[in-house]
Amino acid sequence: MEKIAITGLGVISPSGIDKRQFWANVKAGRSVVEKIERFDASLYSSRVAGHVKELEAYSSVSSRLLKKIDLFSHMALVASEMGLQDANINLSEEDLKRVGIFMGNALGGWLYAETELRDMYMEGREGVSPFMASAWFPAAPQGQISIHYGIKGYSKTIVADRASSLMAIAYAAKTINRGKCDFILAGGMEAPVTPYALLCCVTSGVLTKNNDNPHNAYRPFDKNRDGLAIAEGAGVLTLEPQSRVAKRKAHVYANIIGYGTTTDATNRIEPAQDAHQLARAIKIALDDAKLAPSDIDYICADGAGTVIGDITETKAIKEAFGAVAKKIPVSAPKSIFGNMLGACGALDVITTVLAMEHSMVPPTINYQTPDPECDLDYCPNKAQEKNIKNAMIINRGRGGINCVLILQKN
Amino acid sequence: MQTQTDLENKVKAIFKKVLDIQESEIVPGAKLDESLGIDSTEMVEIAVVIKKELGVTLKDNELKKTHSFNEIIDILKTKG
Repeated sequence: MEKIAITGLGVISPSGIDKRQFWANVKAGRSVVEKIERFDASLYSSRVAGHVKELEAYSSVSSRLLKKIDLFSHMALVASEMGLQDANINLSEEDLKRVGIFMGNALGGWLYAETELRDMYMEGREGVSPFMASAWFPAAPQGQISIHYGIKGYSKTIVADRASSLMAIAYAAKTINRGKCDFILAGGMEAPVTPYALLCCVTSGVLTKNNDNPHNAYRPFDKNRDGLAIAEGAGVLTLEPQSRVAKRKAHVYANIIGYGTTTDATNRIEPAQDAHQLARAIKIALDDAKLAPSDIDYICADGAGTVIGDITETKAIKEAFGAVAKKIPVSAPKSIFGNMLGACGALDVITTVLAMEHSMVPPTINYQTPDPECDLDYCPNKAQEKNIKNAMIINRGRGGINCVLILQKN
Repeated sequence: MQTQTDLENKVKAIFKKVLDIQESEIVPGAKLDESLGIDSTEMVEIAVVIKKELGVTLKDNELKKTHSFNEIIDILKTKG
């Protein structure tokens, strides 16, 4: 594919709001996964999560609008504003019919929906807020961003479980390649720390039960891993074609240069045991980027932290990269703040871009006991200095979704 | 018996609460969508609160965003 520039970053995360705070905490490997206290989670088998704090301090969303939207839309609005400011884009000078919004989300707005469903069963049909109609569904944030800025161009919301936002970013890049938009706000948002959303995640069997040690709960690639910790947050990037970047002399963090996606076609929750389809997605992305395996300097892993997830991811990397697999650092920095599900890809792209900018591989934290079946360099517990020219990001979703994006430093 | 001012004050309070606005922003004779930027879901929410607090049911065609505040009061008066 023709390279597409990343020119602005907006991040709302448990590790901080804004890129500087976020990178400082991620680089240091400081875990922010905590016990869930927003509601009584005592009967759930997983009771830890990464929480976003102090969102209001960064938000200019009116209290009148806040009544009508879910937390996931609120985070998307704040992240979009940050992304636009970071890219130094003034929308009043743009043709808004040529601006797009591509967002990824897995669950929808359950903080809002649950309250209203409870009211429906307690008070009847009339107890439900009419705002519910436009608050809960996965494309609601896309709608709110478009209304807020008057953006009217080709836009989409992608729902593909934990691969949602990586896929949204990839399709945004492809849409710019096809000349359909001048630039695109791309990313994702998720607010899964609610009773029903947590229950759905728990029953899918992918969450950690290490509730006594929240900071150490999410342990990708460690032998004693037992699943992921969920997190809330949003990440929004501004994506632009080279011609536009040159014209406005924009700062380019990195370029998107390759993408591959496949599906396992085996199981509705677990990835395929043989990992061949993830390996194929990696090869497709490398071909798309016109790179050889040895050109990749860093892999930002899916790092689901489940027994089978990490074994199969390792297996796929070894199949696709062959002899060089063990020489490439592979890390899961989301172990620090939690897995944002549909938004995790956006955060992985932002983390990788910042890693390139600071020439440093962010760590996989809570790595204590090596697993013979996970035998790559996972950059355990401490960031490593390294020049990163080309990086790969892997995201996977339930239902056998495999998604691989390749970035190149400008 | 409820006076017109009582009714107006109660409905103003409902508008204020639902829309999170100052009472001074309500222009009695102006269309609600133009003066307050009311959308259709906000109108439904206002109808729900009016029913809850005043016990009066408003039909869809009686509570339009193109109505003015005064027109809403007039409709409520006809319903006792």
